Amino acid sequence: MARRLVPIILALAVIGAVIGIAAIMLVVLGQDWEDALFWILAAVMLGAGLLVVTMRDIIRCGLAMMVCFGALAGIYVVLGAPLIAAAQVIVYIGAISVLILFAIMLTQTKDAPSRLVFQTQAVPAAISAVVIAVVIALSIGATDWAEVPERIRLATDALSQVLFNDFVLPFEIVSVILLAAVVGGVFLAKREPGGPS
Amino acid sequence: MSDSLDAYLILSGLLFAIGSFGFLARRNAISMLMSIELMLNGVNLAIVAFGAFIPELGAQGSVIALMVIAVAAAEATVGLAIVIAIFRNKKTPLVDEYDAMRQ
Repeated sequence: MARRLVPIILALAVIGAVIGIAAIMLVVLGQDWEDALFWILAAVMLGAGLLVVTMRDIIRCGLAMMVCFGALAGIYVVLGAPLIAAAQVIVYIGAISVLILFAIMLTQTKDAPSRLVFQTQAVPAAISAVVIAVVIALSIGATDWAEVPERIRLATDALSQVLFNDFVLPFEIVSVILLAAVVGGVFLAKREPGGPS
Repeated sequence: MSDSLDAYLILSGLLFAIGSFGFLARRNAISMLMSIELMLNGVNLAIVAFGAFIPELGAQGSVIALMVIAVAAAEATVGLAIVIAIFRNKKTPLVDEYDAMRQ
């Protein structure tokens, strides 16, 4: 009974910590509401992303990936693109995560949570990832993007005007690509009669 | 801070770096696919941020982001189907034991 309560208490502690940090940022530091939201969502997204690539149990990696995508949908809302956020929730959290969780359940053998999570090249991989992050950050800081200082909040009807007038051919091509991918996925994952079981 | 393009771009760069580390370092094929999804999401965040801060782009940034999401869904479908097909033959999800083409 006590063991069952531990995850619930942990989850409540995490939620309380997030709300507390938000309250501190809003009240004590006097930051904007959107700034506080941005910081918290960014921290949740990066933390969940790190959990995805480092945790041992792959089912938990998949669940952390759903948390990461949810926080990213929140960042899209802060950024002023609510339609992208809705598509992110429906496609990534609703479809791709479920697909990945099913694939995990189909491909795990008993000894699969094995001794080694990482390959032998994990240390060079970490170094190269840090180098990539530093190079991207430096080049972002060194470039003048000719940006406006205020976010442009995009109305959904303006977006759909562009999508179904200027981009109608790519839209149709994407639908054909999706159809081809679905047919290909069914063909690849289908069990051949008489083949290896 | 939430009103500067640089913050969003650095965030997307960090997400991309985390995904690239996972892709290079994990042994499990499905973990590698999850890392690819993280990298795609990082790039998508950069595209939406450019669309939200550069007025010349207008709505095109969001449209391109929607296209990327759709193509990522197709990629996930085919990639997971390939992993399942390989798993049926090799009985393991670990990529360093896929050595049929090395012999």
